[in-house]
Parts: sequence; structure tokens; C-alpha cells
Amino acid sequence: MKQQRTLQCLISSFVCILLFCVSVNAQNDSIISTPNDSLKVKLKYGLRVGGDIGKLVRSFVDEEYTGFEISADYRLKKRLYIAGEIGIEEKNTANEYLDITSKGSYIKAGIDYNMYQNWLNMDNMIYSGFRVGASSFSHDLNKYAIYSTNQYWNQFSSDEKQEFSGLTAIWVEIILGIKVELFNNLYLGLNAQLKILASETVPDNFENVYIPGFGKTYDSSGIGAGYSYTLSYRIPLFKK
Amino acid sequence: MRKRSLVLIAIITICYFSCERDDICPGSTPTTPRLIIDLLDAANQDNKKNVFDLVVIGVGNNFILSDYNFADTDNLVLPLKTDVNTTQYKLIKEASINDNGTPDDSSDDFIEGNQDIITINYSREEVYVSRACGYKTIFKNVTLNLDASDTDPWIISRQPVTDNQSVEDEAAAHFTMSH
Repeated sequence: MKQQRTLQCLISSFVCILLFCVSVNAQNDSIISTPNDSLKVKLKYGLRVGGDIGKLVRSFVDEEYTGFEISADYRLKKRLYIAGEIGIEEKNTANEYLDITSKGSYIKAGIDYNMYQNWLNMDNMIYSGFRVGASSFSHDLNKYAIYSTNQYWNQFSSDEKQEFSGLTAIWVEIILGIKVELFNNLYLGLNAQLKILASETVPDNFENVYIPGFGKTYDSSGIGAGYSYTLSYRIPLFKK
Repeated sequence: MRKRSLVLIAIITICYFSCERDDICPGSTPTTPRLIIDLLDAANQDNKKNVFDLVVIGVGNNFILSDYNFADTDNLVLPLKTDVNTTQYKLIKEASINDNGTPDDSSDDFIEGNQDIITINYSREEVYVSRACGYKTIFKNVTLNLDASDTDPWIISRQPVTDNQSVEDEAAAHFTMSH
């Protein structure tokens, strides 16, 4: 009888322990995080250098335009890049009364900020950027004709080339764009630029109809627009 | 969502500025000015006086200046040549067409009337207007002379409005002529 009670007690306490153990284990599962599940993704850092293929194509297609731009950026932080462009442009602007060739070179420098949250080891960008640009350029006034609303007499016209040189302009621009990694370290990008002219040297008895780097100017405002298609390669330097 | 609207705003802005028409010279923009002459009454030089059936033809041009094709007017607006420093006009008062005895054939018609020739001398200056309008010409040191050899002139005298008269806009008359 005594033996039987002892056995009962043993069994019940064993069952009790068993139950308790199970419940403890279940609690452990839900509380303790498992740090070993997620791997730390290392980001590639390096210098990305590219060319503007849009300007290259336009140089071949558009007779009035020749230009090229080299761009580069360097990753400072996870989302922040220091970026810049350098380029040359030559643009002919012609209508019935004016024929102008504008040419010069420009440099832009600023930052890009990646707004896109990449998955794992993907490295694409949807970014906004800010640049300060400066251009040094000249205009050749190839020919011009006098404008008159009255056509009773023939108007004076000149074929003598006039040069307006030593001109400069400074502007700021806001960029929105994307960069997609096509293959390992090779990127295709496109962006749109909104530019605000800060200062320009205005030629005597003439006007800057086109500023290399800034693009076409408008009579009503100091705002300009541009775009570029870039193909770039990242020279990987280190991972972090 | 905010990013998307930002992109949209940028696209609209770029479209707006690239679609702007800067290539047509608006009619309201002052371009090459014409010479304006008021015609005054010789008897009372404070009053304007009409001349009737006036025909104006540029010397060296076969066409009648379209605003003065048998017109009754007390002021003249004359375009000046922008390629040379002299422009001459024939002003024919009380003009009529002589059909030369052949009313059915207009090829031998000619204009009759009292014809005076005026000569305008000036120096030119080309001034930039805009990309659509190009350059305009303004005229400096403008002088207006009557033909001294005319035995029967209808224009009695002429007077510039200011000394060292220039023609830079069409806001007011540049010369007066009395008749």
C-alpha cells in the first residue's frame, strides 16, 4: 500500500515536471531572438565612373549638337554619395534672324542621396541629388538679320562672324534619377535635372541663348532643364 | 507616396519649361522703329492739318507704301532702310491716276499730283532684342531735308522735335512738316 502511494507520488511528480518543462521550453521559443538567423550584408564601396550615352547618341543624331559628359561618384555612407560631372558641349541655335554656335566646357559637383531600400545584396538607386555647376563658354554669332515688322525695304543682314568669348555661368541643380545594376558593378542610369541659374556674364549687345552644361536658357526665367542617360562602372575598393 | 509626387512635380516643371514658346517674336516687342512725321498747318503751327489723296513711294522701290495709297492723313510713319544711311521718299499730294487715254489698259497708268521728295540721312546702330526677334536697328543723328530744287513744293518747312534727333522707338513723332 505504502509502495503504491510512493509510486503514485513519483509518477505524478514526474508528470508534473514533464509538464512544467514543456511549458518552459515553449516560453523560451517565443522570447529568445535568434541572432544567428540574419547575416550582416556587407555593402560595396568604390568609385563609380561613367559616360553619358544620351549625349553621345544625340551628337550623332542631332546635327546641331555635339557633346559628351563623364560622371563619377563615390560612396561615403550607406545612402550618401559624393558625385560630379565634367563635360563639353557645342550647340547651334538658328532661326530666321540669328545663327549662333555656343561652345564650352563645364563642371558640376555635389551629392546624391539614395532613397531606395535595397533587398539583401542588391545595389540599385532611386536618388535625389544636388549640384553646383560652373561653365566657361563662348558664342559665335555666325550671321544675323535685322528684324522689322515692316517689309517695304529689304533688311540689313550680316554674314560677318562675331565672337563673344570669355563668358562664365554658375547654377545650382536638383536631380532625380535611378541607377540600376545590370551586371556585377555595371550600372545604367537615367536622371532629370532642374537647374536654377545663379549668375552669368551677359555679353555686350547679345544674350546667352545656350550655356554648355546648363542648356537652353529662357527669356522669362533663369530656370533650365536637362537629362542624361549614363552607363557607369564601379571600381570596387572595399566592403563594409 | 511623397517620392512619387516629387517626381511628378519635377516632370511637369520640366515639360512646362521645355514647351515654352521662345521662338516667335511677339508683335508687342518693340523692334526696328519707323520714322514718325506730324503734318502741321503752315498758317498755325500748333494744329495738325490733313493732306488729301496722299501717295507715298520710296525712291528705288516700285510699290506704293501700303498705308499711303491715296490716303487722307495728318501724320506719316515711314520705314527707313536698315542697310544704308539714306532713305528717300516721294510724297505725292492730291494724287490721281492718269490712265494715259487707255482706261482698259492699266499697264501704262501713272500717278499725277504735286510730288515732293524728302531725303532722310542717319547713322545706324544694331541693338540686340531677343533670341526670337534677333537684332533691331535704331537710327542716330537723323536729318530730314526737302528738295531745294523743287519749284512748286507743297511742304513749306520741316523741323526735328529735338536737337540731334534720333529714332529709337515709335512712342512719339520725330519730325514735323508744315504745309
